[in-house]
Amino acid sequence: MTAQLELDHVSKHFGDRVIAEDVSLAVDPGEFFVILGPSGEGKSTFLRMIAGIETVDSGEIRIAGTDVTELPPNKRRIAMVFQNYALYPNMSVYKNIAFPLKMQFFSRDEIEPKVRDAARTLGITEILDRRPNQISGGQQQRVALARAIVRSPSLFLLDEPLSNLDARVRFSARAELKKIQRDLGQTFIYVTHDQKEAESLSDRTGVLHLGRFEQIGPFHDIYETPTSHWVGDFVGDFPMNFLPEPSGPNEIGFRTEWIDIGSGPYSAVVEVAERQGDLVSLLCRAPGGQRVFLTTLQMPTIGETIHFGLRQSLRFDAKGQRIEGGTTGALPAH
Amino acid sequence: MTKRRKITASRVGLYLAVIVTSVFVAFPIYIIFLLALVPTKYTIYSARPPLIPPTISFVELQAAISSPGFAGAVSLSLEVAFMVGGLALAIGIPTAYGLSRLGSRLAYGLTTVLFVVNMMPSITIAIPLTVPFIKYGLYGSPISIALAQELLALPITTFLLVGAFQSLPREIEQQARVDGANRATAIYRILVPLIAPAIVASFLLAWMLSWDESTFALILGNLNPPTLPVLIFLSVTGRGNPTLAVAFSLIATIPVVILTVLLQKYLRGEDLASGIRG
Repeated sequence: MTAQLELDHVSKHFGDRVIAEDVSLAVDPGEFFVILGPSGEGKSTFLRMIAGIETVDSGEIRIAGTDVTELPPNKRRIAMVFQNYALYPNMSVYKNIAFPLKMQFFSRDEIEPKVRDAARTLGITEILDRRPNQISGGQQQRVALARAIVRSPSLFLLDEPLSNLDARVRFSARAELKKIQRDLGQTFIYVTHDQKEAESLSDRTGVLHLGRFEQIGPFHDIYETPTSHWVGDFVGDFPMNFLPEPSGPNEIGFRTEWIDIGSGPYSAVVEVAERQGDLVSLLCRAPGGQRVFLTTLQMPTIGETIHFGLRQSLRFDAKGQRIEGGTTGALPAH
Repeated sequence: MTKRRKITASRVGLYLAVIVTSVFVAFPIYIIFLLALVPTKYTIYSARPPLIPPTISFVELQAAISSPGFAGAVSLSLEVAFMVGGLALAIGIPTAYGLSRLGSRLAYGLTTVLFVVNMMPSITIAIPLTVPFIKYGLYGSPISIALAQELLALPITTFLLVGAFQSLPREIEQQARVDGANRATAIYRILVPLIAPAIVASFLLAWMLSWDESTFALILGNLNPPTLPVLIFLSVTGRGNPTLAVAFSLIATIPVVILTVLLQKYLRGEDLASGIRG
C-alpha cells in the first residue's frame, strides 16, 4: 500500500529556527494523523510545508506516491483548513464553498449539487447566502470544513481548526470532525497543541519537538510509554513524575494514576491542593526536590507528608531516553 | 461655572480657527468663480473689484467652451488622464503585490525609493526625457505625456496598494492557492476585490494628478492641441486672455471636485476593514 503522505528526510530552517530536522514520516490512506507539539514551535509552518505554501530546504514530500516537493499548493490536490478559517470575506458562504470547484473548471450545474451536499453534511444549508462576517465562529469553522470536503483532495490538512471555538462548541465540533473523517475515509493531517484533540481524534499521533518527531504512535501508547523524559513531561493532563533511581544516573518515571497512596517506599510533601470535580489534585515535593503530581479523594492539609508506592513505572537514562524493559511494581526504598 | 465657560471659550477659538482656515483655502476658489461668472467690467477692468458680485453672466464660460482649442484640450486631457490611471493600476497592482510580499521593512524602503522622481522638480526630469522620446518617435504624443506623468502617479498608487495588500491576512491568499488558484488567479480573483476601495482610490489619484499636471504636458506634448492645464497656462501668458483662463480653470475644477468627494468616501476605509475580519 502506498502511503498517502510521505516525508523523506525533510529539513526546513528559518535562520536559527528549526521547523523540520531530517524528518521521515509515512501516513497511511484513511489515517487520522495528529501532529502534537507545544505552541510556538513551528507546527503550523510544518503543515504549510506539506501544503506547499513553504518550501523545504532538502528532502522529498510525496502525496499519494507523487513527488510534490517542487509543486505549488494549487498543484498538490490538497484541502486545508486554517486556524482563522481564512474565509473569503467578500464572498457568500455558497461562493466560498464553490471556489475550489470553480478553480477546477466545473460548470455551474455541476457545482451546485456538490456545494449543497457539503453544506448538508455540515448543517449549514441555512446560511449559504450569508457573508462570513455575519455568521458565528462555529459556523465559520463549518464553512471552512465544507470548503475543504467539497472536492476530493488527496489529503486534508487542518491547522488547529477548533482552537478558535469556545469550550462548549469545541467538544461537539471534535466529535463531528471525527465522524466526517470516518465517513469520508480520507487522510487527515491535523496540527494541534491540545492533547485532548490528539487523544480523541487521532489514529496515530506524532509528537513534534524542535523539528523532530520525538515519538509517533497511537496516543495511548505515547501516554503510557513515552520514549523520552520530554514526551512524558509534555503529554498528559499531569506531566509524568520523575524521581532519580537510588543509585546511578537513571531516573524512574510514573503517571499519577500509577501511584498507590497510603504506604510504600516513596514520600512527598503537599504544596498545593486543588479540588477538581470529585478529585483533589495535589502538587507535592519529593525529598530530593522533584515535583510529584498526585490525586486523592480527600482534601489533605498543606505540608502533610504523603507516602506512596507505584504499581508500575518506566526507566529513563541520563539523556532522558526511555530504557527498554522498564520496571514494574514496587521499587526498593531509598 | 468657570469650567463651563472655559470650555465654551476654547470652543469658540476652535470654530474661529476652522473658519479662518476654510476661508483661506476657499478664497482662491471663490475668486475663480467670481472671475468666471461676473462680467469683466466689475472684475479685471475694475480698480476696486467688489467681493459680492453685482450680477452674474455665463458669457465668459460660453466663450471658453466654444473657443477653438477647448474641445481638443479637454479630450486630450481626458485621454491622457485615463491612460495614466489605467497604467497606474496595470503596473501598480503587480508591483505592489510583489513589494507587499517582501516583508514590511524592505517593502517600506523600496516604496520610499520609488518617490525619488517625485522629490525632484518635474522640469529636471522632463527635459532629459525628451531625448529618448524623440528618438523613439513618442515625442508630442499623448502616450509620451502619460508615461512621464506616470512617473509621478505610480509611486503614489504603489504606496497605497502596498499598504492595502499588507492589510490582508496572508492566509486568504494561501487558502486560495490551496483551493487550486495559481498566483495570478489568487491575486486578481481574491485579493484585488478585497482591496477594491484602495484600487479605486489609486486610480482616481493617478487620474487627478494627470488632469492637473502641466510641466510634462507642456514640454513633452506637441501643444496642438495642448492639455487643459497647458491651455490655461498659455491663456495667461503672452497674448492670451486671462478671463478665458479662469473659465477654463473653473471647468477643469469640476471633475476634480467630483472625484475628491468620491475619494473621501473610499479613503475612509471602512469597507476594507469590515470585509477582512471574519
